[in-house]
Amino acid sequence: MAASKIAVFWNHPAGPKTIHFWAPTFKWGISIANVADFSKPPDKISYPQQIAVTATGLIWSRYSTVITPKNWNLFSVNVAMAATGLYQLSRKISQDYLSVPEAPLNKV
Amino acid sequence: MAATLKAFWNSPVGPKTTHFWGPVANWGFVVAGLADTQKPTDMISENMTGAMCIYSLLFMRFAYMVKPRNYLLFGVHASNECVQLYQLQRWVNFRMSSHDCT
Repeated sequence: MAASKIAVFWNHPAGPKTIHFWAPTFKWGISIANVADFSKPPDKISYPQQIAVTATGLIWSRYSTVITPKNWNLFSVNVAMAATGLYQLSRKISQDYLSVPEAPLNKV
Repeated sequence: MAATLKAFWNSPVGPKTTHFWGPVANWGFVVAGLADTQKPTDMISENMTGAMCIYSLLFMRFAYMVKPRNYLLFGVHASNECVQLYQLQRWVNFRMSSHDCT
């Protein structure tokens, strides 16, 4: 019955009445914030911050598959962090090192 | 000295385990935040800084309640909370002062 499954979830020792639920759930906020920042110009992106986001995402993605039990919820949130971090880094690197600077306007 | 290093290397919370590298990875946020305090205020992302403030607050509580209590994790998130709150107030002051100029 769906009602009893909901009750089990609600009363679970790592359920929505506990920090064990909300802390990992809120980690999605970091990836959501990064997605919101996709529309910002790359010169506003911080290299140290995005390297930290990417590295954390990659390290935790790896380790969530080697802990017991494997934690796919933790895995997915960290994969998302690594992916958004890598995208932001690629945007900034592309602007800083790979784009041709616009020709200055001729001053007559 | 060698014995101590060996004990650390093989420790159940040592460098071969996630209990070590997880918190180490989280120190990256603190170091990045400190580096960014020296940058101009218009570089601050209010989305990311705000998210970090809530994230580290929740994980301070998580680190305290988890069994076993993880003081390393608590410490890194307490530090990050301080840095991110500092960045947030820099951004707020910047926005408020730029409104005053108009």
